[in-house]
Amino acid sequence: MTQSSHAQIVVEPGRVRVISVVDEARLEPQVVGEYIDWRAATETELSIGFARGDEACLQEVFRRLAPLIYTIAYRTLDSSSDGEEITQEVFVSAWRARDNYQAEKGSLSGWLIGITRHRIADRQRARGRDLRLVQAVTNTTDQVQPETLSTLVDRIVLTEEIGRLPHPRGTILQLAFWEGRSYPQIAEQLDLPLGTVKSHARRALRHLRTQLAEVTSWPT
Amino acid sequence: MAHLSPDRLADSALGIDDPLTAAEQNHLASCAECRDELGELSRIAHLSRQPERVAPQLVPTDAIWQSIQVQLASQATAPATTEPSPEPPPSAPTIAELPRRTPKLRSWFLVAAAAVFGLIIGAGITTVAVRDRVEVTSSIPLDALPGQTGRGTAELIRDRGRPELRVQIDAPPTRDRYREVWLINADGQRMYPLGVLPDDGRATYPLPPALAGQLQGFNIVDVSIEPYDGNPAHSRESQVRGVLPT
Repeated sequence: MTQSSHAQIVVEPGRVRVISVVDEARLEPQVVGEYIDWRAATETELSIGFARGDEACLQEVFRRLAPLIYTIAYRTLDSSSDGEEITQEVFVSAWRARDNYQAEKGSLSGWLIGITRHRIADRQRARGRDLRLVQAVTNTTDQVQPETLSTLVDRIVLTEEIGRLPHPRGTILQLAFWEGRSYPQIAEQLDLPLGTVKSHARRALRHLRTQLAEVTSWPT
Repeated sequence: MAHLSPDRLADSALGIDDPLTAAEQNHLASCAECRDELGELSRIAHLSRQPERVAPQLVPTDAIWQSIQVQLASQATAPATTEPSPEPPPSAPTIAELPRRTPKLRSWFLVAAAAVFGLIIGAGITTVAVRDRVEVTSSIPLDALPGQTGRGTAELIRDRGRPELRVQIDAPPTRDRYREVWLINADGQRMYPLGVLPDDGRATYPLPPALAGQLQGFNIVDVSIEPYDGNPAHSRESQVRGVLPT
């Protein structure tokens, strides 16, 4: 059975202390005095530390989410240097605006992706102005319509989420979505009852729906 | 009829199990709520079939992280810019130097941060002839970590040409424990122990030979509180910390 992580976090003036974490899938965060090993922290613990302004926590958030943020920026803007710039802008502005983040409104990753969308949209608008200028000068109008920003971001987020689903749910979705297997084939391959496979697929789809709604709900 | 159950909507979006009955289709035709939900589930199922993978190895995270630290540090010490020295001494990093170390980060953002930072360093530097042949290259504040008290300064100096780190902190020593000074890499993984900090909180340490020319990213000055446990590793409990300019 899968057991979700359970953390008791005591928040006192000037410190956050993770008291205990029960999770079969990972080691407990090491509590040494006031020091917290953020590498072992859950996303909830991280978001609390982030909101409280712990810079060591920011570094861990960066370590976990920079590849996702960078991929979104790189793929939507098709430029590695723009991808790097957006990535640093997102973390710097998120850190400065961390008072605006409210954990009860959604995940930290959703909030950061929301900021990323806005930065990318700004960059694309600026490029659009440049492009119109070029078109005005060269009198060209042919323009390849790129995949819309939101669709691409959704695809990247969905891929990431599917990759993070626990077994067998993640495996079932990967086989169904990425390898095009039928549900009876998956049931046979994983040696699971067909009804179980379908039930996992339904729940996984609803989970993806919730995650995506979280990512897109931040107005920023 | 009632709304379609979440399972039926998911089934339909996934194309599994029985197709929708006539009654269900009639309901869908008249219920915008169910239609929207099915539309979104179908869209997600469709997009999920076109994976777009994150490629962590493509990300130059070290350079980006360092740049973020520079910008955050420049914000943290911003009050120092109230009285910038009109001409930063030549040892301060110039705008031209920073982009060379992180060649891909060309944003105006970084250039602006570097400019501000240059001013701060300019303000922090004393081109000293106060002490004999000791030149202060840069000076930074050391601030207490959450839950800790104390503050101090760390200075990169050259004593008759030898690069050293001078640390001075104003924080009470902890009973039954001692303090140690470290240079930590921006990756947060690698670190050099410079030595034990005496109880009066003042000491000067020669830099490791590998860092004598450039800090190579080991620009976080950290003072840890260590138990007498015979374990030479960092206790992971830090009292004060500061970031040297790259």
